[in-house]
Amino acid sequence: MTANRLTRRAVLSAGAAAALATIGAPVILHAQTATLKITTWGGKWGDIMKAELLPAFEKEFKCTVSADQAFPFVPKLQASPKSNPVYDVLHTNSNEQWSSLDLGLVEARLDHKKIPNLADVYPYAISDKIVGVSIFTSAIGLGYRTDKGLKKPTSWKDFADPALAGMRGGYIIPVNSLGQCHLMMLGKIYGKGFTDLDAAYKALEALKPIKLVDFTGQMEKMLLAGEVNMGVIHDSGVLRYEGQNQPIDFAIPSEGVMALEQVLNVTPGSKVKELAYAYIDYMLRPDVQKKLAETVWYSPSNKKVKLAPKYDARLFNTEAKVAQLIQPDWKWYNARKDEIDTRVTRLLKG
Amino acid sequence: MSARSVDAGRLAYYALNGAIIAFLLAPIAIVAVFALNPTPYISFPPVGVTGRWFVKFFATDDFMVALWLSLRVAVVVLLLSMLIGGACALALARGRLPGARFLTAFFMSPLMLPAILTGLALFQVFQLAELDRPVWGLIVGHTLVAVPYVLRTTLAVLANFDTRVEEAAASLGASPMRVFVEVTLPLIRPGVIAGGIFAFIVSFDQFPISLFLVPPKGETLPVVLFNYMKFDLDGAIAAASMVSILLALSVVLLLERVIGLKAYVKL
Repeated sequence: MTANRLTRRAVLSAGAAAALATIGAPVILHAQTATLKITTWGGKWGDIMKAELLPAFEKEFKCTVSADQAFPFVPKLQASPKSNPVYDVLHTNSNEQWSSLDLGLVEARLDHKKIPNLADVYPYAISDKIVGVSIFTSAIGLGYRTDKGLKKPTSWKDFADPALAGMRGGYIIPVNSLGQCHLMMLGKIYGKGFTDLDAAYKALEALKPIKLVDFTGQMEKMLLAGEVNMGVIHDSGVLRYEGQNQPIDFAIPSEGVMALEQVLNVTPGSKVKELAYAYIDYMLRPDVQKKLAETVWYSPSNKKVKLAPKYDARLFNTEAKVAQLIQPDWKWYNARKDEIDTRVTRLLKG
Repeated sequence: MSARSVDAGRLAYYALNGAIIAFLLAPIAIVAVFALNPTPYISFPPVGVTGRWFVKFFATDDFMVALWLSLRVAVVVLLLSMLIGGACALALARGRLPGARFLTAFFMSPLMLPAILTGLALFQVFQLAELDRPVWGLIVGHTLVAVPYVLRTTLAVLANFDTRVEEAAASLGASPMRVFVEVTLPLIRPGVIAGGIFAFIVSFDQFPISLFLVPPKGETLPVVLFNYMKFDLDGAIAAASMVSILLALSVVLLLERVIGLKAYVKL
């Protein structure tokens, strides 16, 4: 046997080393590249994020982004250790950010110095009704069929028209924030204000018979299919069908529309906080905002965004238009959610 | 008994069977109508026939990646649950273990817990161990709820197992291993395979556990469909459902062809 001859031991050692290198390589690469863990929506939003915006962010910031599209985000964050959270940036609607704050899962306030684009957002996006920053908003109003001889609704009271009995659509309030917004709006329209729950319950009962759904996507389809002639919905759920010859339109009641905010916030235990802030700043850039706004019909928060005419005409992108947005007090609502859920479930049963 | 009463009885029998079949098939029929209808929403009567939703389903990367992942996970779960469930059943039925009844109940317990809690608990364990959400974790979660099916069907076979056959083989000189491979295994095979089919279907359709355990960019088909439904409720969902139904049916038919499930119908 010569010194150069391959022995079984040498082959096995080399094989083991190669196997370890193969297994270890991703870990080594991973260690070299920071990973930002975020939540994000699906649908067209998710498509454009995956195809264009996230790869561009990864390239610019030399990192990888792990984007979770699978709900439920808050329970997953809650179940993960606070010192090593499953997400660095939490994207949810505003109501869930408030409940996350109560659980200590998100920052109470963002560091404005680290997010320069916050200087250019409309005041509502960082108001005291928001935990984090609202990067986009939709307007919750009334969607309606244009081929059923209905007059365009001008008030939330038009939703209670007896002619719409059984042909109006609402939400299963415990699981849908649009339904929760609508309940608060009923308190304002028929009572002393958004917190007048007794008036809201009474008005809600008067809307029966009403068809209820879980998701806004289902409401869109009910409107398209003519299963309801009018429904509570956000503007993007109707405007996205523009140019497709669908007999539906969106109406802004004179009393105002409720804001359905897309909110980003950072988790306190994130190990890549600088990257998390950079991501939020990136999402507030005018070019990124324009791209997303014109893809999903969401109103951008950055005042500097210049939208194409057809989006400019319908979205809430001027000081005057955003003044119509009413921001729900989710802190107040969440504190009473269990009691409200029990009451509305009993009220709308059957 | 008059001919008239016999006819009435037979009619009632057929009517009842027809009603049960209609009840079972109605959801599939609705899904099929939605999948073939050109409108992007459920409408009845259908306004035409189209294959566009199937084209969309097969042309969408997210659906395809999820479909293949679901299939791969389900196949691994099938094999693991047959191995673990079969071995557990043998040990429980034949091992003279102390507390065998308790152990049986223990192994069946994943079916009694709400699956969403199982998913949440496993998610928490993986997070605490800083493992994030590996694919093997998803397989572990699915296997946990699939094993009881194999256990139950195999135990059912073992309950009627005639041990004298094994004794005869042993008395004729067969080694314990040979007795196991040539006598025991073929006799319990119906239970193991029947349970394995359940395990495959349980894994392929698994939603509550997957909801917590799927990693980003590694979602299974039911999770992708749920998320898709929240934003784009169109016929692609129905097309995906039809494909899932046909796939599950294909697996059963394939197993019937390969190993002759008809022989095990008595289960």
